Amino acid sequence: MRIHDRYKGYFFILPAFLLLVGILGFPAIAAILQSLNLMWVSKPSFTVSSYLRLSKDAEFLGSLINTIIFVSTTVSFHLILGLGIALLLNLEIKRRHFFRVIAILPWTMPDVIGGLIWKFIFDTLPGFVNGVLIRGGILAEPIDFLGTPLLAFSSFIFAEIWRGYPFVMLILLAGLQAIPRHQYEAGAIDGASTVQSFLYITIPNLKYMVIIAVILDTIWECRLFGMVYSMTGGGPGYASQVLSLLTYKHYFQFFNTSYAASIAIILAIFMLIISIPYLRITMRREV
Amino acid sequence: MKRKEELEMLKRTYWMILVLIMVFSLSLSGNSVMGQEVKISYSDWQLAQDIWGKSLREAIAEFERLNPGIKVETEPVALAQRDVKFTTAIRAGAGPDVFALDVNPVKQYIKEGWVKDVTPFIEKEGGQQWLSDFYPRTLMPVTEDNKVYGIPKNTVAMVIVYNSQLFKEAGIKSTPKNWKEFRDVCKKLTKATKPGGPVDQWGVAFVLAKACFDLRFSVVLRGFGGDFLTPDWKHSALNTPEAKEAFNYVVDLILKDKVMPPGVTQVDCNEARRLLAFKKTTMKIGTMWSITEVSGFNPDLHGWEVLEMFPIPQKEGVKSKIRSTLYQKSIFMNPNTKHPEAAWKLMKFLTDKKQMEKWFIDNNMLSCRKSVNDTYGPILQSKYASVVKREIENAAFLPLIPQWPECLEAFRVNLQAAIAKQKTPEKALMDAHNQIEEILSRK
Repeated sequence: MRIHDRYKGYFFILPAFLLLVGILGFPAIAAILQSLNLMWVSKPSFTVSSYLRLSKDAEFLGSLINTIIFVSTTVSFHLILGLGIALLLNLEIKRRHFFRVIAILPWTMPDVIGGLIWKFIFDTLPGFVNGVLIRGGILAEPIDFLGTPLLAFSSFIFAEIWRGYPFVMLILLAGLQAIPRHQYEAGAIDGASTVQSFLYITIPNLKYMVIIAVILDTIWECRLFGMVYSMTGGGPGYASQVLSLLTYKHYFQFFNTSYAASIAIILAIFMLIISIPYLRITMRREV
Repeated sequence: MKRKEELEMLKRTYWMILVLIMVFSLSLSGNSVMGQEVKISYSDWQLAQDIWGKSLREAIAEFERLNPGIKVETEPVALAQRDVKFTTAIRAGAGPDVFALDVNPVKQYIKEGWVKDVTPFIEKEGGQQWLSDFYPRTLMPVTEDNKVYGIPKNTVAMVIVYNSQLFKEAGIKSTPKNWKEFRDVCKKLTKATKPGGPVDQWGVAFVLAKACFDLRFSVVLRGFGGDFLTPDWKHSALNTPEAKEAFNYVVDLILKDKVMPPGVTQVDCNEARRLLAFKKTTMKIGTMWSITEVSGFNPDLHGWEVLEMFPIPQKEGVKSKIRSTLYQKSIFMNPNTKHPEAAWKLMKFLTDKKQMEKWFIDNNMLSCRKSVNDTYGPILQSKYASVVKREIENAAFLPLIPQWPECLEAFRVNLQAAIAKQKTPEKALMDAHNQIEEILSRK
């Protein structure tokens, strides 16, 4: 067998390419075909009715709004909390490695387990928060955190802020550690205060890391399912229902596979748009 | 020279991949190729539960003893994940050979071809004569276009389970017959058990979370003479005065009378059992299994002595006979099974007379076989079986249509919205009605 030099490289990357197509490409294509009622349905026939239905579905629109509120709030808090804690952990303090391990613990918890723990914490009868408040004489009756729409949604957001901030923190901590010390030293010689050093040295140096962290975190939060599924189930009513949960319900509970796939495609398009700046930054850096 | 080495390396890599693929393929089909023993799998959500799981495993061990050539691998699955696991696996050409389902998703499974038509096996056993021992009503969920897709196993009707000791302590001498009496009893039983303390005992807790909502809530609607859908299951029946009355009744029990514990919208069937087990509530909508489950949560309750049952209350003057809901568990065969004969043997075994008796002794469950319920001594002597058996006559299945899970969820979330005061009860019920109409018109 004689292979021309020009094509030899393609043969070497072929197994990896096939794996990528199989693992990443096939599910994506399958989801598109399913949303058009062409695959894994009892009677395949091309139709865009699932997409047309989306525009009229109040539950979908409600879930979309919930997703936007949820993602924007959690990502904002992740950034504030993540940056704050990353700055603290970047200080020259004793046992900082120990504190770093403690700080990333919430991130190590599977989101379903996190949801169950927070469900217990916010529960009415055996719940931790109500127990403390009632025993402390602050409340006479328990607050129904997960049965009141605004409180249920806020509790879910609070729980996810807690669980997800270490991801942003780790990225920003890595960014902070990469800032050359001499920039701060030069700033100090020029008489820069701590705030000025932060504003004119730290923030500009962290710019790309912040963008990457925000984009990756946004994508992650858009897909989040386990936490809301185990904590509120989207309730009460549709108060805390997000798109990932709606997709799950239509696919696995109602068996509306085409409709579920169309919701997933819309969510994927949204995430693709968000990831464009990330791709541009990473590709520019590689060049 | 270098090029030759590279080519050799390339060839070696492809050979390795080829060998790996062959080894992997062989390992997948190895069991049936290498040995005479047939291996099949059985999946059931009750395998994941202590009492049921033990009982099922004992039965399967007995099946293996009687059928030395067949080995059964049990696959427990969480109830909430059951349909996710089964449907994904079956679509992919895999899945357990034999599995259990309740009636809720059965019609969708039949429609999608996720269960095998077992009519040819039944014909070999004697056809209609073999089926005649099963209550005709229990064959309805597993039959479509004269084809039988599963074998009915257990059936029960929903009743009210109550703590007779707490009734006695509250001076309640008779159980409620209608919903007005039910409300009065609930009010009497809602109290602070410690003088001057906060309310810590409530009359009842309805299941309002997703898990097990269908069987429990439907009895209230039916007890008022209403239902979710019209008798032909083609339209919503939530715009009827009976449905409105039932809906408002439940919302009032929670918001005005406060006879249910706070946070009741998150109460699922396990939480309702736990509340009854620890005397936080005095009643629950349940059935035969409630006794074993509640007693399991708190053995100190002495559930088998303290817990009693009474039929579903019915509004005075309601003409409809139906006031309760039927539960049924049936056994199905995977269309992808490679061992249909062995799978059929297991299906037959799990639903035979002897095992049906075992399910009653171990799990307090009634059978879908008339001969077992009508002649088996322990069933005839059981104080619980007598109430539930009578209630079966007044019970009906929930709609056996593929759209049912979506209709039910539309109703449930609107009920939750009314309880959470997101919507008025009238608006919530009307929204549920309109959504169900839209769902039913879609397919």
